[in-house]
Amino acid sequence: MNSKLTGKAGLYALILQFAIATFPPMALAGLIQTPEAIATQQHELSRQQLSEAVAREDVQQQLVELGVDPAMALERIAVLTDAEIAQLNHRIDNLPAGAGVLEVIGVVFVVLLILELVGVTNIFSKF
Amino acid sequence: MSRFAGILLVLALTGCAGTGPVISPLLPAGSSEAVVELGATPFVAQTDYQCGPAALAMLLQAAGSRVTPTDLVPAVYLPARQGSLQLELIAATRRHGRLPYVIEPLISVLLEELRAGRPVLVLQNLGLRSHPVWHYAVAVGYRPEADEIILRSGTTRRKLMDASRFMRTWENAGAWGLLVLRPGELPARVDPGTYIRAAADLESVGQTRAAGEAYAAATAHWPDNATAWFGLGNTHYHLGELEVAEHAYRQALRADPGYLAAYNNLAMLLARRGCYPAALATLEQALELTRPDDSLRGTLLETYREVLQRQRAPGAQVDPACNDLGQQP
Repeated sequence: MNSKLTGKAGLYALILQFAIATFPPMALAGLIQTPEAIATQQHELSRQQLSEAVAREDVQQQLVELGVDPAMALERIAVLTDAEIAQLNHRIDNLPAGAGVLEVIGVVFVVLLILELVGVTNIFSKF
Repeated sequence: MSRFAGILLVLALTGCAGTGPVISPLLPAGSSEAVVELGATPFVAQTDYQCGPAALAMLLQAAGSRVTPTDLVPAVYLPARQGSLQLELIAATRRHGRLPYVIEPLISVLLEELRAGRPVLVLQNLGLRSHPVWHYAVAVGYRPEADEIILRSGTTRRKLMDASRFMRTWENAGAWGLLVLRPGELPARVDPGTYIRAAADLESVGQTRAAGEAYAAATAHWPDNATAWFGLGNTHYHLGELEVAEHAYRQALRADPGYLAAYNNLAMLLARRGCYPAALATLEQALELTRPDDSLRGTLLETYREVLQRQRAPGAQVDPACNDLGQQP
C-alpha cells in the first residue's frame, strides 16, 4: 500500500517534470507555436492545454493498464501530439494492434477457409 | 443440385471479380513489367508478437537510423494487446528524428513510393473483418509479370504475395501505409498540408532540428506556402538562429500578408533582438488587420503589452542594427 502510494507520488512528480519541461520558458511567452497556428487557420479549437493535460494523464494510465511500465508510458505519451492523444483516449482497446503471424499461422489457415465461406454467403446475400 | 449450381455460379462470379492483374495497369507507360525490389532494405525477423517493432526497425534502419527492434519494444509494444498501435509507430518514428508520413490509401501511391526507392510499412488484416488478425509488414517491391507484392513479413525475408490478396488484406486494414522519411526528404506523392502538419508534429515533440529541415524542404518545394515559412521561422527561433527565423517570418508574410501569427512571432523576435519600436510597429500593423472576434487578437495584445514592458525594463538592451530595419515586415 505504502509503496503503491509513493509510486503514485513519483508518477505525479514525473508528470510535473514533464509539464515544466514542455511548456515554453518565460522568454518565449507570446510566441505562437506552429501546430497552434495551423489549428487557428483551420478554425479548430486551440489553446486547450488544460483539457489535453488531463487526457494525457488518462492515456498514460491506460497504457500502464495494458502492461506498459509507468516511466516508459510517460515517455511514450511525450512523443504523441495532442490530436493523437485525443484519438487514443478511451479507444486504445478498439484500435488495431498489429501483432504478427507466428502464433496464428495455424489459425490463419482456418480463418482463410472461413473467409472463403463467408465470401460465398456474402455473395449469395446480394442476390 | 441447386447448391451445386450455386457453387458453380460463385466460382464464375469470383472468377470475374478477380479479373486481370492488379499491378500492370497502375504503372506509368514505359515502365511496365519492370520489377522493382528494394533489396537493400534491412530484414529484421519478428519475435513473439512483435512485428510492430521489427517492421519499424527495418524502416528506421533504411532511413539511416541504427535502432534495433529491442530498442523499440518498450516504446511501441502493448503487452496486454500483444501488438502495437499505428499511432505509437508514428510517435516512435518522431522520437528517432525521422518524419512519419502516412500515404494516401491507394495501391497506386504505394507502388509509386516503391518506385521512388522507399519501403512502405503496411498494416494488414490477415483474418476477417469481424475477427481481424492485424499484422505489420514492409512492402519492398513488386513484380508486375507475376502480379505479386514483395514483403518483409514476420520471419520471412522475402515473402511474395499475390497482389489481389495483398490488396484485400491491406484494404481490410484501412489501406494504411507509413513512410519513414529522413528530415528534408519529400515523398514521391506529397500533399503540402499533410507534410507540413507532419513537420509541425515533429516540432511539437521537441525534434526542432529535424522539423526545421522538413520545413526548409517544404519552402523549397512550395515557396508560396506561408505555413511552411512560419514553421521554418519558429524552429530557427527556438534554435536561436534569429536571422534565418526573421527571413522566414518575412517570407511567410510575403506569401500571406494577413498571417497574424507570423506578425506576432516576428514582433517577438524583434523584441528579443532589442528592436522594440519595430516590434511594436509590427504588432500595430497586425492589430489593424484583425476583426474584434479574431481568436489571435488577444494574443497580439498580450504580446504588445509584453514588448512594452520589456522596453521599459531597466537594462533593456537595444540592438544598434535596429535602425537599419524598415518599418514594413
